[in-house]
Amino acid sequence: MSLRQIAFYGKGGIGKSTTSQNTLAALADLGQRILIVGCDPKADSTRLMLHAKAQDTILSLAAEAGSVEDLELEDVMKIGYKDIRCVESGGPEPGVGCAGRGVITSINFLEEEGAYEDIDYVSYDVLGDVVCGGFAMPIRENKAQEIYIVMSGEMMAMYAANNISKGILKYANSGGVRLGGLICNERQTDKELELAESLAGKLGTSLIHFVPRDNIVQHAELRRMTVIEYAPESNQANEYRQLAEKIHNNAGQGIIPTPITMDELEDLLMEHGIMSAVDETQVGKSAAELAAG
Amino acid sequence: MPQDANQVKDHFELFRGEEYTDMLAKKKAEFENPHPAEEVARVREWAKTEEYKDLNFSREALTINPAKACQPLGAVFAAVGFESTLPFVHGSQGCVAYYRSHFSRHFKEPTSCVSSSMTEDAAVFGGLNNMVDGLANAYNMYKPKMIAVSTTCMAEVIGDDLNAYIKTAKEKESLPQEFDVPFAHTPAFVGSHITGYDNAMKGILEHFWDGKANTVDKMVREPNGKINFLNGFDGYAVGNLREVKRIFDMMKIEYTILGDQSDVWDTPTDGEFRMYDGGTTLEDAANALHAKATVSMQQYCTEKTLPFIANHGQETAAFNHPIGVEATDSFVMEVARLAGVEIPDELAKERGRLVDAIADSNAHIHGKKFAIYGDPDLAYGLAKFVMELGGEPVVVLSTNGGKAWAAKMQDLFDSSPFGANCKAYPGKDLWHMRSLLFTEKPDFLIGNTYGKYLERDTGVPLIRIGFPIFDRHHKHRYPVWGYQGGLNVLVTILDRIFEHMDATTNIPSKTDYSYDIIR
Amino acid sequence: MSVSTTTDIEAVKERNRALIQEVLEVYPAKAAKRRAKHLNVSEEGKSDCGVKSNIKSIPGVMTIRGCAYAGSKGVVWGPIKDMIHISHGPVGCGQYSWAARRNYYIGTTGIDTFVTMQFTSDFQEKDIVFGGDKKLAKIIDEIEMLFPLNKGITVQSECPIGLIGDDIEAVSKSKSKEYEGKTIVPVRCEGFRGVSQSLGHHIANDAVRDWVFDKAGDKEPLFEPSPYDVAIIGDYNIGGDAWSSRILLEEMGLRVIAQWSGDGSIAELEATPKAKLNVLHCYRSMNYISRHMEEKYGVPWVEYNFFGPSKIEESLRKIASYFDESIQEGAERVIAKYKALTEAVIAKYKPRLEGKKVMLYVGGLRPRHVIGAYEDLGMEVVGTGYEFGHNDDYQRTAQHYVKDGTLIYDDVTGYEFEKFVEKIQPDLVGSGIKEKYVFQKMGVPFRQMHSWDYSGPYHGYDGFAIFARDMDMAINSPVWKMAPTPWKKDDGDYLAIAAE
Repeated sequence: MSLRQIAFYGKGGIGKSTTSQNTLAALADLGQRILIVGCDPKADSTRLMLHAKAQDTILSLAAEAGSVEDLELEDVMKIGYKDIRCVESGGPEPGVGCAGRGVITSINFLEEEGAYEDIDYVSYDVLGDVVCGGFAMPIRENKAQEIYIVMSGEMMAMYAANNISKGILKYANSGGVRLGGLICNERQTDKELELAESLAGKLGTSLIHFVPRDNIVQHAELRRMTVIEYAPESNQANEYRQLAEKIHNNAGQGIIPTPITMDELEDLLMEHGIMSAVDETQVGKSAAELAAG
Repeated sequence: MPQDANQVKDHFELFRGEEYTDMLAKKKAEFENPHPAEEVARVREWAKTEEYKDLNFSREALTINPAKACQPLGAVFAAVGFESTLPFVHGSQGCVAYYRSHFSRHFKEPTSCVSSSMTEDAAVFGGLNNMVDGLANAYNMYKPKMIAVSTTCMAEVIGDDLNAYIKTAKEKESLPQEFDVPFAHTPAFVGSHITGYDNAMKGILEHFWDGKANTVDKMVREPNGKINFLNGFDGYAVGNLREVKRIFDMMKIEYTILGDQSDVWDTPTDGEFRMYDGGTTLEDAANALHAKATVSMQQYCTEKTLPFIANHGQETAAFNHPIGVEATDSFVMEVARLAGVEIPDELAKERGRLVDAIADSNAHIHGKKFAIYGDPDLAYGLAKFVMELGGEPVVVLSTNGGKAWAAKMQDLFDSSPFGANCKAYPGKDLWHMRSLLFTEKPDFLIGNTYGKYLERDTGVPLIRIGFPIFDRHHKHRYPVWGYQGGLNVLVTILDRIFEHMDATTNIPSKTDYSYDIIR
Repeated sequence: MSVSTTTDIEAVKERNRALIQEVLEVYPAKAAKRRAKHLNVSEEGKSDCGVKSNIKSIPGVMTIRGCAYAGSKGVVWGPIKDMIHISHGPVGCGQYSWAARRNYYIGTTGIDTFVTMQFTSDFQEKDIVFGGDKKLAKIIDEIEMLFPLNKGITVQSECPIGLIGDDIEAVSKSKSKEYEGKTIVPVRCEGFRGVSQSLGHHIANDAVRDWVFDKAGDKEPLFEPSPYDVAIIGDYNIGGDAWSSRILLEEMGLRVIAQWSGDGSIAELEATPKAKLNVLHCYRSMNYISRHMEEKYGVPWVEYNFFGPSKIEESLRKIASYFDESIQEGAERVIAKYKALTEAVIAKYKPRLEGKKVMLYVGGLRPRHVIGAYEDLGMEVVGTGYEFGHNDDYQRTAQHYVKDGTLIYDDVTGYEFEKFVEKIQPDLVGSGIKEKYVFQKMGVPFRQMHSWDYSGPYHGYDGFAIFARDMDMAINSPVWKMAPTPWKKDDGDYLAIAAE
């Protein structure tokens, strides 16, 4: 089997790294050899695998050593649950430097050091929105081939999913990147499943799995563990196993997404009653004006 | 009035006249608020001390007078070695103006290269439009056979994707689908110009050999007996490549020079401007895949290219800018082995002549102490040759050399008593060198044009070998490789030693007893 | 050797217009449309040259322009000799511009002056990713440690600084405080800003305003002011230009209290608002600060031109007109003093240069300023253009310098310039290092008009003699006769030639 190169994208705070780590743990249970590359300056994409707060990142180690050329693969790669290999790209404090460039640096380093040898899956966990060329690095050619967007029924999460699809579309023609599907991480918003399926349809993809909300996830997280490891018999673990299987069987099924306009997205929300139709006569009026009117 | 229409004085003499010296002394005293002369003299002396050297070497952040340039310069160097190839640097336009000037000042030749002229809007939105328009304009105006793309740091910081942009440009019909546009990311904040050479050279070979960015099938290697040759970033490209070709022809080796800059930087003045001249044909670049082996003259210029070639099934061999007898011996014997040819007697004779010349002259070099700086391979090659001449390197410095280079240098020093007192300085600059010249007191300094400031400040005579050489003409036309090249380097060193001898023995009735007519 | 023997102005204009059309044909439609606005033929009586300028260069065309960093570090700030100028960012920019501009100065380099050195923060990947402010702070500490006699520091930003959002102003302020109010000037001259060197000049001028003048406040100058104090603004002392200018101003009775920025010092910058008049040579690069000094300190400014005796004479009188009779007499005295020299120079060189045609392409001043000097030698400028001029430069060019029918090319591309020269066949091209060898290969004599081709000075009366000598040397060198291969000439029956 050839190397599966996948990436999880999604709005910040959506539960992206929790979803990805649980899914990957389940894949590891299936006997898959996995490398996780965290591409979020927060460096929280591997903590559940390592039972750690956050591992030393490539960029912080490189800064200490002088440059990435001074690092060895062993310095940056930790082995976690079921031999999953974990690296975190890391990045600067908010407000300084260029985190996007950090992602480029890290991925180039891993490729040159042969980190991708003898594995079945490499998974990138990428910061919320594609804000600059650096964060698009994983969706460029020869990096991630299948993108899974973690979203929910909230407006901003759907907006982000659509935006990420635009990023994929930009690179889909020149490279081989495809949208693997949407993963809805339940937030218990109104008509969430319906909405997620509808958005998936508009984007030309499918909702690959709907992950229900369950407090056991938080219990596991407090122990810096995945649910797969913390409570393998639980329902939630089963949900993640289903998701993992679906992803595993989804090889080659990715599509080039058809992102929609902001207006279309708003129409979609209105269609499902999430947003009421805007009364154009009220736009830009203050409360006092509306009361007076 | 100092000026005279019949004997025009320019800056050399004009300002030495009293009118000017008085005026400038007044300017200084009245308006410049200068430090007292004694204070300047004190600091000047202090800057020669061990104490200052220690402070100087405690620097962690500041770089002063480095002996290295940035990646895209090397990418442009690699690109112009291919037939009718226009280097295209994606990013800010000022960089390209700098590369062109830099090469023109060294080679005294035109250097053609274009920029995608990215400005503030491109910094925000990415430089895709600049790439699309830029490729179309360059293709139409300059009719190249290939456009080799590299990047400035601006494009690298914002993360522009060359592969995707070039594909998009072709989709938008900036240039034909099948037109060759190899590319390399060359961030200026990684490595130096030699890294850029490496990335660009690998990018070009990858383009031809590995399916032109997934647009055609990868080539399948059908091994033949040819030898590929990589010069690396080399200020002597013109003389060196011609010499290497002569040697290979003499040895009856079938070869491909990958990146042959010898014609484009040595075009005739005959009434015609040749924007492109000579260079490795694109066909040869592609077919170089089938070669038996590839030889790199500069290990540290080909750290990515050579393994890339090895992965395609070729034997590879790397040298460190071989200069002199033994280094050239290894080079010649290795290529003879790789190509399966006999080494002709003519070459043995050339070798003998170089040994003969060394035998004639080494007495003037033996035991002399040398400080050497340059790109890592050149510094190695020069140090080895100096030791072979009986000279003693005491400082070998390379701003773009790393720890591995320093270890390799140490092995070299350890291999001979002439290296016993030498130390390698990786990652250091010419301000470090200044301190070392004061404290280690070598007899001669070998380096590029910038070394003239060190010569002025420390009095250590400079022997100009390296890149760039701006203030002497035509040195790049003379090889430093091959036995013939070794002879040139020997003569360059000797000339400076003799000049220095004469200049320090010419005071009548005081030192001129040693002002010998025969040396 | 000039092929363009046409003397009829209308015919010249016709040819030039046709030439413009011809070069535009090579471009794709979009680029042709844009380039067309930058090429024209000057018309007598028009207020400008009829070209657009100071507009973004087109990608891929081989513009000759540089960047804002080059304008600030390379031009305005770099020559201030007792300050240390940090090229802040990756190593290249500082390396390629290291001592490449011949801003002559007097001082002990590395001890009390630093112009021909390259100070760089040599940015590595980690500096990009994590930001470079801490490194900058440490660099300033290290400068203070190793160069105790430096009088100030400037931070010349390279592209990445603006992209990664470093706060060099904050670092400069806090370090200035730490070092007892030392002048530390952050300059936002990232190369991607603006369209050429020009914005870099402006940014650098503004940095002088904000970080030198405002900081110096009412600091008293070290000298007793006099009614005859002037400052030379916009002379970069290429090959000593400012010195051969200064001598004339002083000989006429003025006192030069500052030179900007060739052979300049921070003390001179600070004292300049005390001048009675700013005399401005390079309008393009320093009009901003001159206007500021006029507005804020009431110092008037006057443009002058010290290339060639006609313009020098005119300029000396113009400058003198701002002062009393003693200075006006001084100007006449200076003019008279050098009369014999200029006459001798013209007598010697004019016969060799009369009627020779010149094409120029330089930065922001010389495309017009040197025309008078050529005309003093009987030469004619038939084409000219600016790398980074603005419309006010083209206005000055049209109103005071070029002849009717001159070919005008703004931000010329490599292709255009080559074709223009090929067709017009001038006797001399004056431009930069990137252009030099292109034209010499074509067999056309060339002089670098940025660096004076390592000669100079060219300013002032002393400089004019050198200018004349150099133009003669270029045009009348025996080498150009040898360029065509004899047996390949059209009439080249070389067997017959050989038999003769």
